[in-house]
Amino acid sequence: MAAPPEPGEPEERKSLKLLGFLDVENTPCARHSILYGSLGSVVAGFGHFLFTSEIRRSCDVGVGGFILVTLGCWFHCRYNYAKQRIQERIAREEIKKKILYEGTHLDPERKHNGSSSN
Amino acid sequence: MAHAAQVGLQDATSPIMEELITFHDHALMIIFLICSLVLYALFLTLTTKLTNTNISDAQEMETVWTILPAIILVLIALPSLRILYMTDEVNDPSLTIKSIGHQWYWTYEYTDYGGLIFNSYMLPPLFLEPGDLRLLDVDNRVVLPIETPIRMMITSQDVLHSWAVPTLGLKTDAIPGRLNQTTFTATRPGVYYGQCSEICGANHSFMPIVLELIPLKIFEMGPVFTL
Repeated sequence: MAAPPEPGEPEERKSLKLLGFLDVENTPCARHSILYGSLGSVVAGFGHFLFTSEIRRSCDVGVGGFILVTLGCWFHCRYNYAKQRIQERIAREEIKKKILYEGTHLDPERKHNGSSSN
Repeated sequence: MAHAAQVGLQDATSPIMEELITFHDHALMIIFLICSLVLYALFLTLTTKLTNTNISDAQEMETVWTILPAIILVLIALPSLRILYMTDEVNDPSLTIKSIGHQWYWTYEYTDYGGLIFNSYMLPPLFLEPGDLRLLDVDNRVVLPIETPIRMMITSQDVLHSWAVPTLGLKTDAIPGRLNQTTFTATRPGVYYGQCSEICGANHSFMPIVLELIPLKIFEMGPVFTL
């Protein structure tokens, strides 16, 4: 949870907590996973009902589908989010190095151009 | 620092805390799914018309509800162990600070480049300036550089205390006769607050920790290097 935003900063989205504790607005990938999970639940449950006309079992399939699809989307999204954060960190450090060493023998661009011309 | 009625974690100021927040989100999602399943099972139990009370030999269900929790525990344990070992990584700290707990204040020693030693007492309410935080601000803050690996050696002179700064993901017990070590690297400047986290007497709630994290260039100009 962040401190109240400074003037000029984008406001934190109002938190919506599912079951009272899962903040879907401010947790990365949570909203995306829950929405796809809900869609998967409806598709699985309704699809099962269309084929079997069993209400009870279709509800079970729906809940099972919700859990599996949410979990699958969650892992997939978090994996990509972690990859993105690593790339952002590398880019930030490279920009810092570039600013610090521009024009010197340690300039990353000079090293890169030197190796590509070789 | 935390704002009023805050329940969740504070924003991260170190890479370890970022990992802890990620793990917390992961565990919370698993808990949410388990709770959803339990709520559904509860709903089915309360609305069923079945009345047979002699059900037995549900071998398949018993297998599922043994194997599935084991899988869930593995899904939680693997990231947890990863972070646990990450916190123990040796990262060649550039600065070592000693923190000694007393009843009811902290002493900090910067002995790497000189002999700076000072006490850090909570500011009593009568001494607060406008804008100061009640029960959190201190007379002497711990000033440290950002983007620098720092080692904290923590101990106590009398009873158990605990040196905690939530935004850095740090909490280390101060035990008399023992030296505990924790390392961290702060990623952004600012003033960060923590409180003693082990019951230590009447004023346990009144011995806060305040870190003032500043850029390394400015830190190098400060009293630590000019003593």
